[in-house]
Amino acid sequence: MDLLEVENLSVSFYRPEGEIEALKKVSFSLREGEILAVMGETGCGKSVLCKSILKLLPDIAKIKTGHIIVRGEEITDYTERQMRELRGSFFSMVFQNPMTALNPCMSVGEQIAEAVRLRQPGLSGKERQQRVAELMHLVGLDHPGERARQYPYQLSGGMAQRCVIAIALAAQPSVLFADEATTALDVTVQAQILDLFLELREKTGMSIVLVTHNPGVAARAADRVALMKNGELTGIGDVEEIFEEIIHRQNFI
Amino acid sequence: MTKDPLYMDLAHCNEAPGKEFLFGTDTMGRDIFSMIRYGGRISLTIGFLATLLSTILAVLAGSVSGCAPARIDGVLMGLTELFLSVPGLLLTVFLQAVFGGSDAYSLSVVIGLTGWMSMAKVVRAEVLQLKHTDYVLAAKCLGGGFFHVLFRHLAPNFFPSVLFMAVMNVRNAIVAESTLSFMGLGLPMEEVSWGSMLSLSESALLSHSWWIILIPGAFLVATLLCLTNLGNYMRGRANKRHSNLGCQGSLNIKKK
Amino acid sequence: MRKLYIGRILYNIGKFALRVIVLSVLVFTISRLAPGDPLYAYYGERVEKMSVAQQEQARERLGLRKPLFTQYARWLQGAFHGDFGISYQYKTDVKEVIAARIGNTLILGGLGFLLIFVLALLLGLFCAWREDRAADRIICRIGTVTSCVPEFWLALLLLLVFAVWLDWLPGSGAYSIGKEGDVADRAVHLVLPLTVVVLGHLWYYAFQVRNRLLEEVRADYVLLARMKGLSGKQVLYRHCLRGALPSYLSMMAVALPHILGGTYVVETVFSYPGIGTLAYESARYQDYNLLMVVSLLTGTMVIFCNMLAGIISGRIDPRMRIHSLTGGGEVRGC
Repeated sequence: MDLLEVENLSVSFYRPEGEIEALKKVSFSLREGEILAVMGETGCGKSVLCKSILKLLPDIAKIKTGHIIVRGEEITDYTERQMRELRGSFFSMVFQNPMTALNPCMSVGEQIAEAVRLRQPGLSGKERQQRVAELMHLVGLDHPGERARQYPYQLSGGMAQRCVIAIALAAQPSVLFADEATTALDVTVQAQILDLFLELREKTGMSIVLVTHNPGVAARAADRVALMKNGELTGIGDVEEIFEEIIHRQNFI
Repeated sequence: MTKDPLYMDLAHCNEAPGKEFLFGTDTMGRDIFSMIRYGGRISLTIGFLATLLSTILAVLAGSVSGCAPARIDGVLMGLTELFLSVPGLLLTVFLQAVFGGSDAYSLSVVIGLTGWMSMAKVVRAEVLQLKHTDYVLAAKCLGGGFFHVLFRHLAPNFFPSVLFMAVMNVRNAIVAESTLSFMGLGLPMEEVSWGSMLSLSESALLSHSWWIILIPGAFLVATLLCLTNLGNYMRGRANKRHSNLGCQGSLNIKKK
Repeated sequence: MRKLYIGRILYNIGKFALRVIVLSVLVFTISRLAPGDPLYAYYGERVEKMSVAQQEQARERLGLRKPLFTQYARWLQGAFHGDFGISYQYKTDVKEVIAARIGNTLILGGLGFLLIFVLALLLGLFCAWREDRAADRIICRIGTVTSCVPEFWLALLLLLVFAVWLDWLPGSGAYSIGKEGDVADRAVHLVLPLTVVVLGHLWYYAFQVRNRLLEEVRADYVLLARMKGLSGKQVLYRHCLRGALPSYLSMMAVALPHILGGTYVVETVFSYPGIGTLAYESARYQDYNLLMVVSLLTGTMVIFCNMLAGIISGRIDPRMRIHSLTGGGEVRGC
């Protein structure tokens, strides 16, 4: 049984001007402990795919058809309350721009601690601080004591992204969505963050959905690659397979 | 139907709305229906004239202050703040004394001169914000002069908000006129406007003549409401992005 | 660091003092240039009984012949010794006239401010939470209408309905005669004026809160917070409110003198004995000594609150704070 299965998922945005089909019958599955790269141009529906699985889309978006199955259980009809439990424990997500994803008015320590508290409500204050320090260490942030008191504005992009990842890890997720998590960062930092993902996979055994438009990122980190175009999933397979196909196709053109 | 709004029909004082006097008569026997018709002109004239003056002042002060070097900007904004801190009542009384008499025009000038400060601050903030945008930089790089940038790039961008504020200023000016006239500091009773009509309400309260209070006020409120809606329409929908909050299960299968 | 801090405080105090002094010069000049014989401010109706020579003599003695600046210096000297002159209309010390009334205005304006402060926040939060749903739309409609009703007319309306027609509530004064100390009686007298003060301002501020929150709600961090497992409501309270609060506080600091000083219309309609009615009367009957002090009081408060607003938005908001103070706040060695 796969960790996450998506069958025939179609999502549309209903605007006053009319319906916009963002996803058209997308099907794929995610195995335990694998890294799946979802690749495609900007605007092809990669982000919408993640957000519709997590039900984080705005009110005007609706799932038209399809099923989302988590460990054999259908979650397509889950209410917001049920989804909330899943989000805090089974799923987690890292966003494109760490600077806007962190609340500018809260110290990063507070933000990580909040996530810890939601996942492990029983912890005492001291234990929670310990857990925060642990998480910060896990994502490679040194001086956790000082660092925790800082505000997002005081951090570099790479540092801020590590904080966002720490928040995501606080949920101890089985599936981590990384929505263009390296795009806004410098190339060297990109590599560091990718290595971090690989390392975290080793340590925790979680699966990662790596959304990116950068083939280099996909080639470096992914086990399998899914290609998207205009809201459709055009191909899915092992990294070598897919890249050979792409090269073949480009030569063909 | 309409009568001379100034004619005091002493035989029909304080008459309730009826066939002859559609909206009744006031305590001095004047026909309220015709007073509203004629008084509306004065109220609106004052509103527009005062706004014209205050908008010109505000755009001038705001954009000069926004474009000027920091020191001049500081002085100008300090002056604006100072004007804001002088109580409006004092300023109004003083200006009225300076311009003499209280007719519609001098009252417009008074209201215009007391109503530009907060708008100037908004214009300045807007100009400052726009000044540092990349497209202004790009226009300068292409060799655009000061006036080219101002008219081609800055003005179109702050025009909607200035227009919105101008419409709101018309509203505020009408409120100011009616309030001042009501308090006896604006137009005298012989000069019919919606505000000065309401200055009779004290005696109307004693004689339970509700129409003297309710009818002109209702017209006033309706006018203000129209102006507000007009202003909001002009500003348009500023934010087209959608909320991330999704308070109720936002993503449900569309049931067929 | 500490030195910098003290320097900042001194700088702000200096700036405040400078502004107050400039304000007093301005108000003094305005009140002296305005029509009306300043002699009246000292002698009242007795001026009419004086001969021309006597009047001239009095002018000379009072220094009214001297240049404006000297007159101002004299006034300032008196003011420093607590002497603000005599109110021509009340025939007593200006200080006493104001002291007798200021409490009433502080109660009306202060309670009004508190109510507006709390209600605007709650209403704004509620509307932001229910954005574009029926409840929000209805509240926005009603709010727009209330913001279009001039204060004085709302006051008249309430007077007509609740004091004249229904006769439920008293329509004038701050207390019934002989019941000055009776709290319940005062409260009953406060209901209508307070309603007008609150309704007159509430929607403006609530709408600002709503719009500010709607901006926050569109930020990316909301998604991350929801990813943690927070509900929409929790995100609104714990995250978005935090982002909106600094600007709300500084907005309300600016609003404080506006609401406190803006009660004169309400006070006049309800014949409520406060500073507002005093300002109105002194302006209308050219009681310049009184007007001067009342204007200075309200003006000083405006200056103070505006500066407070600037300080609030600079200190409370971590975003601003980092920009203004540190710049070198990064932890080194990583």
